[in-house]
Parts: sequence; C-alpha cells; structure tokens
Amino acid sequence: MKVKVNDTELELAPGTSAIDAVFAAGYDVPYFCSQEYMSPIGACRMCLAKVGAPRQDRATGEWILDEETGEPKIFYFPTLMATCTTAIMEGMVIDTLSDEVRGAQNGMVEFTLINHPLDCPVCDKGGACELQDRAYEYGSGLSRFRFDKRHQEKHHALSELITLDRERCIHCKRCVRYFEEVPGDEVLDFIERGGHTYIGTLGEGLPSNFTGNITDICPVGALLDATSRFRGRNWEYDHTRTTGLDDASGSAIIVDARTGRIERIKAALNAEVNKSWIDDGTRFGHEYVDAEDRIKTPLVRKEGELVPVTWEEATGYVKAKLEGIADKELGIVLRADATLEEGVAAKALADHLQTGQLDHCPRPKASVLPEGDAARFTDLATADAIFVIGDVSEEVPAVDLRIKDALKGVSPPASLPHGVPIADLRLKERMPRKAGLLTVAAPYRVDLMRHAGRSVCYPVGGETAFLSALVKLATVEDELSEEEVAALGMPVDEGRALIERLAQAQNAVIVYGSFVLASPAARNAVIALAKAVKAKVMVMGPMANSYGLEAIGVMPSHARYSYQQMIRGGAKALILSGLDPAQDPSVAEALKDLELLVVHHHFANATTALADVVLPAKTGYEKDGTVVNLEGRYLPVRSAPVDGGQSEDFTGLVRYLGEALGVRLDGRSTRSAKRALNHLLAVDLRDLPDEGLLAKAKSRPLRRVSVKEQEAVSGNVLLVPSMVRPEFVSRNPQLRAAFGDVALCLHPDDADQMKLVGGERVRLSVDGTLRKATVRVSETVPQGIMLLPATPEQPVGLVSADLATLVKESSELEVA
Amino acid sequence: MSDAVMGEPTPIISRKDPRYQVTMYRHVGVDGAWTLDYYSSHGGYRAAKKAIADMGVPDVIAEMKASGLRGRGGAGFPTGVKWSFMPPVDGRQRFIVCNADESEPGSFKDRYVMEDDPHQLIEGMLIAGYAIQASIGFIYIRGEYHLAYERLLQAIREAREAGYLGSNLFDTDFSFDLVVHRGAGAYICGEETALMNSLEGLRGNPRLKPPFPAQAGVYGLPTTINNVTSFASAVHIIDKGAAWFSAMGTEDSKGTKLYQISGPVARPGVYELPMGTTFRELIFDWGGGPSMEIKAFIPGGTSTPMLPFSDEYLDTPMDYGSLAKLGTMLGTGGVILIPKEKCMVDAMYNIVRFYAHESCGKCTPCREGVSTWLPKMYQKLLAGLGEPGDLELMEEMVTNMRGTAFCPLADACAMPVQASFKHFRPEYEYLVEHGEPMYPKRSWWQE
Repeated sequence: MKVKVNDTELELAPGTSAIDAVFAAGYDVPYFCSQEYMSPIGACRMCLAKVGAPRQDRATGEWILDEETGEPKIFYFPTLMATCTTAIMEGMVIDTLSDEVRGAQNGMVEFTLINHPLDCPVCDKGGACELQDRAYEYGSGLSRFRFDKRHQEKHHALSELITLDRERCIHCKRCVRYFEEVPGDEVLDFIERGGHTYIGTLGEGLPSNFTGNITDICPVGALLDATSRFRGRNWEYDHTRTTGLDDASGSAIIVDARTGRIERIKAALNAEVNKSWIDDGTRFGHEYVDAEDRIKTPLVRKEGELVPVTWEEATGYVKAKLEGIADKELGIVLRADATLEEGVAAKALADHLQTGQLDHCPRPKASVLPEGDAARFTDLATADAIFVIGDVSEEVPAVDLRIKDALKGVSPPASLPHGVPIADLRLKERMPRKAGLLTVAAPYRVDLMRHAGRSVCYPVGGETAFLSALVKLATVEDELSEEEVAALGMPVDEGRALIERLAQAQNAVIVYGSFVLASPAARNAVIALAKAVKAKVMVMGPMANSYGLEAIGVMPSHARYSYQQMIRGGAKALILSGLDPAQDPSVAEALKDLELLVVHHHFANATTALADVVLPAKTGYEKDGTVVNLEGRYLPVRSAPVDGGQSEDFTGLVRYLGEALGVRLDGRSTRSAKRALNHLLAVDLRDLPDEGLLAKAKSRPLRRVSVKEQEAVSGNVLLVPSMVRPEFVSRNPQLRAAFGDVALCLHPDDADQMKLVGGERVRLSVDGTLRKATVRVSETVPQGIMLLPATPEQPVGLVSADLATLVKESSELEVA
Repeated sequence: MSDAVMGEPTPIISRKDPRYQVTMYRHVGVDGAWTLDYYSSHGGYRAAKKAIADMGVPDVIAEMKASGLRGRGGAGFPTGVKWSFMPPVDGRQRFIVCNADESEPGSFKDRYVMEDDPHQLIEGMLIAGYAIQASIGFIYIRGEYHLAYERLLQAIREAREAGYLGSNLFDTDFSFDLVVHRGAGAYICGEETALMNSLEGLRGNPRLKPPFPAQAGVYGLPTTINNVTSFASAVHIIDKGAAWFSAMGTEDSKGTKLYQISGPVARPGVYELPMGTTFRELIFDWGGGPSMEIKAFIPGGTSTPMLPFSDEYLDTPMDYGSLAKLGTMLGTGGVILIPKEKCMVDAMYNIVRFYAHESCGKCTPCREGVSTWLPKMYQKLLAGLGEPGDLELMEEMVTNMRGTAFCPLADACAMPVQASFKHFRPEYEYLVEHGEPMYPKRSWWQE
C-alpha cells in the first residue's frame, strides 16, 4: 500500500500501523504506551497525527477527485488520530509536522507531566528515560500546573525484585498488558480510577518467572530493578551486549557494569531467540559475581594451607606434579556452560597430555543433539501443535514464552526499516489463546499446564514407558497392554488424540529436556515418536553450552573415563572447572586419594578444601567466546568490565599451563581457539553478529559414549530443573528473597506424615549428599515423592534420600 | 406546522397532533403494570410472537431499517443497520446486550420503563435477539436502580414460567433467555465497549474499536448492544409497522422518543413526544413552564453543550440534525434548565466534578485533564483565587482535551465547558476580577 508521511512516499504491507509508517518513513512521533511485541491500545495519546485518505465512489469504484487539482481528494479524519491504533489505507496521508499536530503533542506532554514528580535528578531512569527525552523533544519546557501534584507511594515493593514509584507512573499500561499478554500471568492491574488510578497487585508479590521485564519496558522510572536501585546513573554504566549463560536458550542480555561491578542485567533484543524478554533467573541471578568469598588469586596448598601465589607459580606447581602422572591418568572436566573456546582448550590440553579422561558436567546420559535439524524458536512460535515433555518454565524459560506466542496464533512480525514494529495491530489485549495445540506432560503438575489444552502427569521416572506407549500408539495398530495404559498417564483415547493432532499438524514441535535425557531409551523413544508424526524436536540441554560441548566432543573416549568414574577413583589427577563434587562425602573420600587436584572455580567450597591448587575462574559475564544454544545457533559471549581479580577462563588456564609445559596449545587464547573451531566445525566464529549464526556445522559428535541402559531406577526424591540455580542461590540474596530458598516440595499428605510444615528449613542426605532446603507443601507434587532442584553434581532424575537423616533446622539458628 | 403536500400526510411532530399515540410510556405510572397479567392483557408479547413466529429474520431487520429508528442511547446510530452488521450465523454463541446503565445526569427515562413496564423491555430484547439470532441476552443495569432490578428479575421469572423466555419460543426453534447484570457505579460503563469489559468481570475501560461488538463483543463473540428505549421502540415498530413509526418525526429523525425535563420547571419528568417536537413545547406545554427565570438549557444530558434560553433556540425541533446544526447534540433527550441566579461557573464545576469522578483513567487527556487539572482550575476560580490568564489556560486545556482522548468521555466534559465559555464568559471574567461570583451562592432547596 502506498502511504505518504509528510512529504515522503513509501510502500508498506497492508495491516501496518500508521505509527510504523511514520517511523519507516524516517519521521518521529512520541509514544509511551506502544511497545514492541505487545498490543497497541492508544492510551497515552502521544502519537496523534493528522490522518486522511482518499475515498472511492461507492457506485463506480473510482477515486473521488479533488476538483482543483484533479488528484484523488484526501478526506481527513475529523479529529487527530492515535497513529498506533490506526491501520494504513491505500493512499493514506499522515501529517506529523503541522502546527495543529505539534500543538496537540505539546498539550499531551503537558498533561502527562502535571502529575509526574519530575524528580529526574534522583531517579534511576534519568538519562535513559522515554518521558524525559520526549518532554525535551515535544514539550514546551514550562509548567503551567500550579497545584499540588498527586501524592502516592514512592517506594512500593511490588516484589523483592521490583520497586514501584507510583508518583512517577504515567499509566501507559505496558506492565499490566505485559503480564497478561506475554507470560500469561495476570498479577498486576490498575486499581482505582481517573486521576487516582495506580498500579498494584491483589496479593503479595508477583508470582511469575518473568517479572523483571517490566522494568525494561517502563517508559519512566516507576518500575525499577531492586538489585540496581540507587547504584548508579545510566551514563556511568558500561553496557555489554552478550549472551546469557543461565540456560540453554542463548537469550540476549545487556550487562550494565560500573566500577568493576555488575549492577544490573537487562534483556536485549534478539527477534529470533528471546525477542526482548528474559526470565528472572537470567536477570537477577548475577549477584554471586560480586560475592565476598569470590576467589581472586591462584592458591597453592603449602603445609596444608592454601596460600596466594601467582598464576606462573601455580601452573609451575601443576606441571611439576603432572610429571609423576602417567598418560590417561589425568582427568579434565568442564562445567557445561563453558564456551566452545574453553572446550577446545580443554581438548587440546587432554590431547597433549594424552588422556581420554575428558568430560563436561552435567552431561545427561542421552545425547542433547537432536537428530536432523533442531527446531528453532521461530518454529516453536509458529507451531500448530506442540508436545512438551518436562518443565520448560523452569528448565529454559525462554521456550515457555515462545510456546505462549504460538498459543496466540500470531506469527513473528516482519522487520521494518526501523526494526520490530512498534504497534503490531494483529496483537490485542486479552487475545483468545489456542490452548488446544499444546500438550504438556511431566511427572508432576508444572506451571505451563495452566495454558495447555491437554495435560498429562505420567508416573514418576516413567519417561521411557510413557514415550514408548505413545510410539506404539503412533506406529502399531495393536491395543496397549495394561502396563502400557498405566504408563500413559491418560486415557488411551486422549493419547490417540494427541498423536493425531501432532501427525496432522503442518508444523509440529516436540520439546523435551532433562527428564527424557536422563535415559537413552526415553530419548530414542521420543525421536521415534517425532519421526512417526513428522515433528521437529527441540532439546533442552541442561546448561548454556551443553549442545556445543557435545558437538565439539568434550567427551570421554570411553565410558569408563566419564566424570562420574573419574571422581570415584578413575583418575589419579584431576582438573575440575566450575564443579564441586566433594559435597558427596564418599566422593570427597575418593578425592583425597588423588595425587593432584586442581580446582578452577569462583568460590571456596568443599572441593577447593581438598584441592592442591585452586585457580580463580571467570564467571559467564567475564568471558569472551561462543556458545551454541538449543537451536544450534552460535552466539557470542562478550566480557563485561567486571573486577574478577586474576581470574581466567579455561583458555587462560591452558595458556598458563601450556607456558609451564613449554607448548603452544590450541585454545591458549580465544583467537587460537576460534581458529581451531573453524577447522573443526567449518564455521567462522570471528565477529559473530549479535543475533548469532545458524550455520550448518558438522553435526555428528566426534566422540560418542555408549551408555549401558540402567535398570529401572527408583527413589523417593525427584531432582528437577530449576530456573534459579541452587548452587548460586545462597550468593544471590535478592533472587533468594523473591523465589525462596532451595525448595523441597512435597504433597500435603506426605508433609503431614513427616510432620513437616511449609517454610521449615531442613537438612537431608540425598543420594549421599547433604542438601539444605526449605519445605514447600504443594498439591502439584504426587504423593510419595519429593521434588528438589538439581545441581550440576546431582543432575535431573530420580534418586533416593535417607529419610532417617532428615533434620529440621530451627530458624533461630539461621539468624544467629 | 407546514401544509400537507398532495397525497402525503404531514409528519407528526407534536404531541398535540391528534394522530399521536403514546406507546412506550403508556403503562408507566399504572399500579401493577409490571406484572405479566397486566402486560399480556394489554397486548403484551403480541409483537414478539409476530416477529418470531410469522416474520423471517431479514423481514424484522428490514422493518427496523424502514422505520428509521436511531439508537436512543445518545449517539443515534440507525438500529436496523446495527442489527444487520452481525456476521452470518456460524455456530458461535451470539449475544444481545441491553445498555441499561443510564447514568448521564439529566436522564431518567429507562428507569421508569424498567420499573413500571419491564415486560416491554423483555419483549423488545426477544425481538432483537431473534433478529440477530442470539440466544442469550444480557441486561446491564445501573447498580443504583434497585427497584428496576427487582422488577426485571420478577418479570423475567414470570416470562420464563409463561414460556416467553426459554427454548422453542412460540413453537419455533428459536430459544432465548436473559441475564441481568448490575453495574457497580461507573458512568463509563455506559460506553458500550467498557460495558462489555465490565460484563466480563474486567475493569471498566473502553476497548479499541474496531473490532466493533458485532465482530468481537462480549467474550470476543458477536454482540449487539442497544439502549432500553431502542428495544422498547422495536416492540411497537413490529406491532404497528414501520410506516406508523416513520410517520412521526422529521427528515433524519423518525418516530417517538422519551424526553426528560428537569430543573426549575413546574412538572419535571419524562414525556414521550414525537421527534421534532420543539423545546418550547416540551418546556412550556408539557413541563408547565419554568418556575424561575432561566438563562440556559442543556438539550440532552450534561454532556451536550448548553444553549441560551432565548426564542432563537427554544423553537428548535428536538431532532438529531437540528441540534447538530447548533453545535450541540440531542443526546439522551434529557433537558435541564439552568436558572439565571445560579452561578454558571459553579454549575459547570458541578458537571466537571462529575466527569472528573467518572474518568476511567485509561488515557492521558481524560485522566490528567478531565480528572485532575480542570476541576482544580474550577476550585481555584470558585475559591476567589482566579488570576488573569486562568481563563485562557482553561480554554486551551479544554481544546487539548477535545478530540484527542480514547473515548468520548473527555469530549463529554470538554464540550459543555466550551459552550459555557462561549455563552457565559462574562460570568467567568466577573469571578476572576471580583473574586466572587456574579450570582452569589445560595440554597436552592424548594419546599
């Protein structure tokens, strides 16, 4: 459609909003209520413009012409129009520059400011505030309102993570709409009416995993991230765009740091991955970086004490110790959120030292690589049938949001010259959701089931049987046996309906994660199911680079060289990065027998207590490198200016150790690692764009480890994925305050039987490791089972806890 | 009255015309008129039976279109055309909604229809429900109308028992039932999209149009919303025919309408008059004339701009077009007289305060202008603190509010204020200059 904005003519797709036409033409109008990826509502009335269009004669279909000029006559709307809620029409004329329009915009700025406190000098948003900018650009600079401004609460804690200043609020409704439209958690609304209107909650806090996004979209300083409040001015921050390493989504984030400290994390736009949303774990889970007990120098054990030394001395010590150790007796293990570059460095070191004892952890028993092409986020967002096995909202929350996009049935918007459309007129408030396309299966009730047309709770630990029964329904005519029906967790007709829905869909996606990956047989079953119904699969690996580390083969050369074997006497020397296996007392005993234990970590822990050498590690915000998300997308990790002392990532460790050993290893720097990766994957990882690279790499893993299928496991504790990483929770005080401590969830009847009440702090030996947790009682948990967040050392799966070891900690002790 | 054109009878534009019959308000004021016995013994449900059993859906809509009935809620959209906007029947639930949230100051016509003649509304909704093929009707009734609510509930029970509501009505396959929902006291919920939100249990904010209710109304389903009086009119249009209805009124405004008159007048109340009746006839012949000296009158509820009480305006016919020409609106037909001795600034503050209280807070000009700044300016003037420049500021502010807001509420406040400035600016100027009003405050209580 042809549109004319002021004097610029341009061609745009039908359905485009007038405000997007204005921006596409290179002009500007102010706006506060519109927000990319959300419904336009026309509330702030800032984007007013004079709009007109030619008309066709109803009888003849001819354009009505202007008698004087002979051109089609433009019929203007009787009033100025809010361009965000006006769709373009053929030949539409939009005027944003006339005195009438400017006068109205000026008047609207004046109205918006009369009750705004104008406390910019003490407001955290100052310098990055939409209202401030627009007031300068479109306001008169003078105030004619000579009355008291509205007084409301200035420091209202909406939750532990978000503080609301009700005086600054300009009622754009972005936050209210966000909760209904994006995560579908209606936890915020307007209260009162007219000039008294304010934002508030019905109950306590904001029960959602995606609350922090409202601080990004608030156009003023009304909603602020409590972790960064009063920490610095916007122009003082160094903004580093990088990739979040909290989960396998590869969500884009901006790390704002000041004087060497991370003050806040904001969502960055990656239209094909996380759009502009991130979960609260990713946003608020950064405080551990600055924890007081962070290790900032290398330490070597001298006379039983760890003593600060230089990197050279530490690696010299390691070199000397390694001389007495034969080939294949050294083990090297990375945490699964290490970058590809670190992986290459670890491989190079292992190759040089001629050991096959190389692994990453957590590494599920089954491969995290999909067979064939991985489903992409855009496949998920446009899917017409989705089958989820697991708890995506906790495991990879970005997947949860993209599934909710699919439920709206609105495909991702086309990009315009100015980027994502400001007002996508296809989106509406309170859109009907197509819940019928979503089926969610898990061993307990998960949050996404609220949005699903079909929810299935299969027996705990029964993934293989559950999926095999579905495969049988999809491929064989035979009736299911009684056991198979029980494993299905739903009536057989429902199972058939699910298969039919998936098979008939044009674009079906099956999403699975750690529950399935815990068993190769379950994984094989889900792949068979996907093939039978012609669905793409999305595999949620346990950590940010599980996909990449497996793809480049940071894997043991033999099953007996796996991490679990290494720490139980399989190796004589160990280099562990980011892991803490000594929490398990039996492992700690085994580690004591090592000839050399090198621990590369951020914090002192049970394993560093046994280590000969402790090397300071960089956190995910301090590294430079590349990770591969669950789509197989290569994403850049960039270092923010954070004071980590002398910490190094694994490439740094290999550089120092290589120097000590007198060799130049691949991966001694990110540059050399990228060269090696180019050789390995045939993908050039230098200068990756922000949105990442979906390249066809050699997808066959270079090393595959055969795993013997274990006997059917049993237990009374199900280790489950968690958005809030339990290993950092004690050093993330704000996140802990909002989401609570590590939770031991159990059914009310079980709680009664064990004489436990919600909120009680307990200690319990779970699979040999002493775990501390707070009791949470919930009917979503099946009877006879307890849920506890998994850690890298205790991955997702069913384990046994010795209930005799259960000890209640009194809360007074905690205070002391 | 003009002479008859050959062969064509003159339209009825005065209640004094002997051909004129009162229809909608025939039973109001009669004791017991709200019972089904009374209603059915006075021809009740005859029209509904005629429409549902004897007429096809297109015939009913054609009849409504031919009658020229325009929506009686204030905006005056042709009712038959509105009914024809419903999408084709596709298996989805469809709704007919009655807007009985009568909350415009100066309007009180629907109240007595529902209190004294609730079956008339039920019958009208039956006809409309049939015309748009809706099986469920909602009556969104103003929360304060308690007696009307009780009477409606009672009437619906009676109608159900008598088989006028329920399934297979009049031995056809048409089924229909009614739900009465009480509002919680918000003027904005008289706006149709805010009404739908409120009906769904949401906050009473207006919704974006398009989509219009016919496409996505209550719960996103096809919906038609009409005023109580529109439904009542439909009963008589079907009963007596479109020709009977369109024989009354003027060129663009057909039929009979309920006018209300309040303020210092001998007989305030509701009068059913043919459209095109003059203000003079309403005020002097039916209202019995003013009981005090009058300086202005509001033609159709407080949101319509006032007119000076002079011969120039009193002979204006009360129809849509004539009032539009004068820059005001027919609105709900609620005429309010303003006495000469009443300070106009204070009178306007009373109106502005109402809109300030009723603003929903969704959009900026209404929340900050109507609901915050404008009433504060009036308070300032009335406290004797007005300064030079204040009036110009108010005029500019009102201009900025007009035509810029999301829904018509801001206009409903801005337009009467503009009219008061246009006709009575000297009173404002006097107040600013002297610090006290031209007509001092006094008690208006009359025994």
